Amino acid sequence: MKLLAHLFWAAVAGAAAFCLGAIALNRGEHINSIWLVLAAACSYATGYRFYSRFLAARVLALDDRRATPAERLRDGQDFEPTNKWILFGHHFAAIAGPGPLVGPVLAAQFGYLPGTLWIIIGAVLGGAAQDFVILFASMRRDGKSLGQMAREEIGKVAGFSALITVLLIMIIMLAVMALVVVNALKGSPWGAFTIAATIPIAVFMGLYLRYWRPAKVLECSAIGVVLVMAAIFAGRSVAQSAAVAPLFTLSAMALAIAIIVYGFLASALPVWLLLAPRGYLSTFVKLGVILMLGVGILFVRPELQLPAFTRFVDGTGPIFAGKIFPFCFITIACGSISGFHALIASGTTPKMIAKEGHARPIGYGSMVLESFVAIMAMIAACVLQPGVYFAVNSPPSAVGSTPAAAVATISSWGFPVTVPDLTGLAHEVGEQTLFYRTGGAPSLALGMARIFATSGGGRALIGFWYHFAIMFEALFILTILDTGTRVGRFMLQDFLGHVWKPLGRTSWMPGVVATSAAMVGAWGYFLIQGVRDPLGGINSLWPLFGISNQLLAAIALSLATTILLKMHGAKYLWITCAPLAWLVTVTFTAAWQKIFSPLPALGFLAQADRLEASLRAGTAADPAATQTLIFNARLDAVLCGVFLLLVTTILLDSMRVWIGILRGTREARVCEAPFVLSQLRAEEL
Amino acid sequence: MKRLGRFILALLRELADESAYQRHLAAHGRVHSTAEWRRFSEERQRVRSAMPKCC
Repeated sequence: MKLLAHLFWAAVAGAAAFCLGAIALNRGEHINSIWLVLAAACSYATGYRFYSRFLAARVLALDDRRATPAERLRDGQDFEPTNKWILFGHHFAAIAGPGPLVGPVLAAQFGYLPGTLWIIIGAVLGGAAQDFVILFASMRRDGKSLGQMAREEIGKVAGFSALITVLLIMIIMLAVMALVVVNALKGSPWGAFTIAATIPIAVFMGLYLRYWRPAKVLECSAIGVVLVMAAIFAGRSVAQSAAVAPLFTLSAMALAIAIIVYGFLASALPVWLLLAPRGYLSTFVKLGVILMLGVGILFVRPELQLPAFTRFVDGTGPIFAGKIFPFCFITIACGSISGFHALIASGTTPKMIAKEGHARPIGYGSMVLESFVAIMAMIAACVLQPGVYFAVNSPPSAVGSTPAAAVATISSWGFPVTVPDLTGLAHEVGEQTLFYRTGGAPSLALGMARIFATSGGGRALIGFWYHFAIMFEALFILTILDTGTRVGRFMLQDFLGHVWKPLGRTSWMPGVVATSAAMVGAWGYFLIQGVRDPLGGINSLWPLFGISNQLLAAIALSLATTILLKMHGAKYLWITCAPLAWLVTVTFTAAWQKIFSPLPALGFLAQADRLEASLRAGTAADPAATQTLIFNARLDAVLCGVFLLLVTTILLDSMRVWIGILRGTREARVCEAPFVLSQLRAEEL
Repeated sequence: MKRLGRFILALLRELADESAYQRHLAAHGRVHSTAEWRRFSEERQRVRSAMPKCC
């Protein structure tokens, strides 16, 4: 039996190596997506079976006899021992956001290979290990947050810096996610109508749950899903109506303002009215669509049309500037390693784990599943014809401001495409145009629609599937916007409460309104900046978001390193130090290039200098707007610098602790809750 | 298949907070009412809306 198991795992590991080799060495021929699916699935299975087992048994020494916080502090609400697979689903729903969908689509500009390898290797050795260790650490510390653990294990400076970093990252994240929605919905009456319809649907659900059928969340969500599907069908009629279509045909600026107003209202309105029902709806739609995409890919097994590498590995890409190193590794964060996961792993989940051993499938397992979602997004992007992919994702500044100029530029890169190709496709999916739809969401929706339509409904339903995918992405993102704005507001109130007490009270309306406005104003500013950016916004904001997210991962890994050092000395440092060293190298290089590169498409300061030169020469079309662009480019450079400074502070503070422990001048005291024998019975799980 | 169906339903009920509500009623020895649901739901959403969602 044991021999059979050994043979089975040897075969799985061999299959992983063979499939990775096949996709890495394939050149000049289209490769079937099933190779990527198999390479990922076998790598994840091998990593889970061996690496996570090693971490659980040898490094973290998980002990099922030890009572978890869910058992010791059980209160029937936050602290509650929960079945591991249900908690797995809960945790996965919390960590899976639009990041693993959009990041791989953007990184596909380098070809399918770099992003795919980074997603698989980064998740198995970095992201999943980070999530697992942080979940373990929080579980052993009564479910404490990342900031609280950093303060206790490293010091007050690190704890405070972590809090500021999280707040700044949230501002950038919300801005860039809002920009993705704006770019997906601009000039699209069908898409704008569908998303607008989700607001009254969510309010209806809120009223239904509060007044008509309290506690019937599943029933209410089922009604909500049916209404959303009806809205997608109705969207086609809206787009075709000469009277109604203009009402929903919005410019990027109008959409940005609408989203800012929505963010403010959602942050200040009662949670039960909009935020909670939208959250339920989004969770069910998200899990359903991810499942559908997985089944669709297995059913259709499409061929990838993008090559393994494109010419843009040299840094001249139209979607975002910068070479494959370091920019591929910051563009894809959530699918391989994401600092934000550390916030989730030190939030609700550790308070619900019934047995310590469950941390392995929940912490490590959920991350590799999310990584698999990123692989599916990569496949959905790469099944598009390269010419179509670049026409949809490139801004006018990179390819030319008319469709004819754009197709000429893209065709000259070796990716032939024609205006009728794009126009025909746009009509097929019910859009006026697909040119310059930057941000990743429309091209992902095109790829998903192709897979869904091939699985069922044929080309007649491709327009429905495209808008279904757009609705899914936008609903997902808007849920993050409203929750994120609210979380940011709480953090801001927490800070400002130290300055003037009433501002800290969440029940004092002027304080709520002022801090909501400040938070929305902050991300709204960067959103407007992205809309006005001549390079398309994504070029500036997505790298800034990637850098900040990976820097948060560096903070989490510094904390994890400190904890491992206190537990085992230097023996297992490589587990967190290797991904930490990689992330520090990648993010600091990317941040340095974004600030100081002499290329205007890449460096913020060089971009400001070029704009200033155009002002001085009198060639700027709109001097006032150019002044704003100069200020924005310098602001981005400063923000990038602040991120670096904050993370450097935490790293130095951590190193001070590490050196002290290694030299023996500092006590290696872990701040774990004391051991209590578990009394939990099997039937309670 | 039955077990899978039960698991999916349990997961959906957990994601929908329906299981948490049942636990809340059992833990505090209360019965379901509109006021009780509102109390539970508001407290749960207050905690949840202070937690960031992943990108």
